[in-house]
Amino acid sequence: MKLSYLFICGAVFILLSGCWDRVEVNDLALILGSAVDKNKNNTIEISAQVFIPKKSGGGEQGGMSSDGGNGNTLVRSATGVTVADALSKLKMKLPREAFWGHSKILVIGEKMAEEGISDLVDFMMRSPEARVRKKVFISKGSAKHTLELISPLERSTVEVLREMTEIHSVMDTPIKRLAQMMAGNANAAAVPWIEILPPEPDVKKNQTVPYIKGTAIFKKDKMVGHIDDKVTQGVLWLRNEMRTTTISVAPSEAEGLVTLNVIKNKSELVPKINDNQWSITVKINPVASLIENTTNLSYKNPNFSNELEKDLNEAIENRVKKALAQVQKEMNADIFGFSEAFYRKYPKKWEQTKDQWNEIFPKVKVYVQVASKLVSTGQADTGISRPEKEVKKK
Amino acid sequence: MIEKGKISSLQMAMIMYPVVVATGDLFIPAVTAKHANRDLWISPLWGSLIGFFVVYIIFQLHKLFPKETLIQQTERIFGRIVGKIIGISFLFVMLQINSQIIRQYGQFVGNVFLVKTPILIVIGSIVLVCGFAVRGGLEVIARCAQLFVPIVLLTWVLFFILLIPDMEPRNMLPIMAKGILPSIKGAIPQAAIFEHFVLLTFMLPYLTDLKKGMKWGVISVFITMLTLVLITMSSLFIFGDITSELAFPVMIAIRYIEMAGFIEHLEALMMAIWVIGTFLKISTYYYVFVLGISQWLHLSDYRPMVFPSGFLLIAFSIWVATDVQEFLHFLSTVSYFQSASFEIGIPTILLLAALAQKKIRKNKEGKKG
Repeated sequence: MKLSYLFICGAVFILLSGCWDRVEVNDLALILGSAVDKNKNNTIEISAQVFIPKKSGGGEQGGMSSDGGNGNTLVRSATGVTVADALSKLKMKLPREAFWGHSKILVIGEKMAEEGISDLVDFMMRSPEARVRKKVFISKGSAKHTLELISPLERSTVEVLREMTEIHSVMDTPIKRLAQMMAGNANAAAVPWIEILPPEPDVKKNQTVPYIKGTAIFKKDKMVGHIDDKVTQGVLWLRNEMRTTTISVAPSEAEGLVTLNVIKNKSELVPKINDNQWSITVKINPVASLIENTTNLSYKNPNFSNELEKDLNEAIENRVKKALAQVQKEMNADIFGFSEAFYRKYPKKWEQTKDQWNEIFPKVKVYVQVASKLVSTGQADTGISRPEKEVKKK
Repeated sequence: MIEKGKISSLQMAMIMYPVVVATGDLFIPAVTAKHANRDLWISPLWGSLIGFFVVYIIFQLHKLFPKETLIQQTERIFGRIVGKIIGISFLFVMLQINSQIIRQYGQFVGNVFLVKTPILIVIGSIVLVCGFAVRGGLEVIARCAQLFVPIVLLTWVLFFILLIPDMEPRNMLPIMAKGILPSIKGAIPQAAIFEHFVLLTFMLPYLTDLKKGMKWGVISVFITMLTLVLITMSSLFIFGDITSELAFPVMIAIRYIEMAGFIEHLEALMMAIWVIGTFLKISTYYYVFVLGISQWLHLSDYRPMVFPSGFLLIAFSIWVATDVQEFLHFLSTVSYFQSASFEIGIPTILLLAALAQKKIRKNKEGKKG
């Protein structure tokens, strides 16, 4: 009996430790983000931003400011014929086992994007290590350069990009969403486009951050162009992804501008097929509050605020139309989800005509209906900074 | 009777829940999505019909031959020789299904978590643990289920709630775009797991409250169906059309959870409840095999059979396929017919034969009288 207890205890010690797959933290290189570029000779270059644990210790805060930025991260890169090949070569350059669980972004270089990214997306979705929430960006020029920048404010440039997609009104494309867009009916994708902010004149050249300056548009898996941030706004209105934005309008009743902050929004696509005439009605319902008023109109008056809502409607409609003109008519890339909307409402018709979608899409007639609502005029009225008699109340 | 333990019908329902849901929860959505596409959440509804049918058959059989399991019933109905042959082939299929489950478990743990650990160690350790539970008897398994199943259920609900912010319910539209057929095709793998309710036959004789047995059996099928609908729906809402391309959509969905910047990497938690569920599933199948073989051999105790059967299970789980591709091919072709013919076919034939015999006997008695 005693012997069997001894045997069980021994077995527990041996079996519970999981010794084959044990990993020590100090043998790991935490990878924060990665970048993929295509070189001139068609090889693929992968760069990884690796976290340096020593420097981020709490005790060394004073010492860090001396070298200007914070050298919290380092960038290593390797080239290979495929993504996996480059990755395995990258491992050779790291003294520790690469840990990808914390890798939160993926930057793709311009050239790679233009030549096709489906292999890359395939690899990223297939690999058991990778997280499908990883955010994807397309960088102007080299993607590696983006990782090499040293952000003065955040821990690393990866953090900068991640935060930016979270708070601003820009496209936000996790790799899962990208795969869905590429595999979906539309066969087109939209990914945030980043450029590097020119550094301040008195600091080192790499002390700056990348920022999101519009959206890269993909057809099939190749980038066909990019749109600026104004046009991106129109796209976001259509995709029901607008979170907050500020819009300035000029009221017709008085001189000056009124700036409005859109707090929330709901957009809806209503498809219709009438005798082979495909059309979409976009219903946009933003809720806005007034944040700046340089006119002398008092928006306590409902007449003025009604007019203001109309002006806002018009401003939004213009942005949407601008986006449609560029993306629908010129690029012919369905990143708005039109094909999905048609498929949901007319599945049978869609099955018959899905092969011709490329020809149908630019001809789809789009009606924009904006019904904005002004919910707040701020904490003060127009009389606060000008004489009472100048304020136009009626 | 060999088994002296007694369980309540609620415990029976709790044992059956992991037997059906566990292991399949990871693979099923992808397999179903291949056929059903956006209708994959409808498939469990069709699949559960099989579950209700099997529960009904097993209860009717038990009514005709109370306090007996399927192995004893076959001998009663078909006589000694034919009964023995059917009994052993049924038990053989039980053994094989269990080794498939064990192999799936080993393959998944090996692929995703313990990459370098030999699969034999992964498989061997779970079979050893299950062996202890089986040696304890039905009551021990029931109490394990009673302890673990609520945890498993609650964790699934928690995952579902955490996934809500990332869900896009419009992914399910249009519903039944290509008619009803794709969702029925998708229901075939679902039906294959609902067939596991045949194991009820090994529990009914040991119920303390047989009257409530039918009720809890049906409730168990219903909860199982609900869980599968939730699981398939959440993977559809998150991945839409690419669900069918992912190997483990549910696990990737749970990996996708990120809340408030720090609630993330929940796959470890999912793995924990998955292992718990798999433990109960393997134990139940293991127990059924051991009990069945002892009844088949008319032994007075089933305990001596536990560890030898475990050894057999380990060996079978390796033999079941030479590699992953062959295994997946087997799972998506032959195994459906195999489990359908044994888990639905045999009980149905038994019931029909028993009813026919009863009628003939009645007629004879009627003629005599």
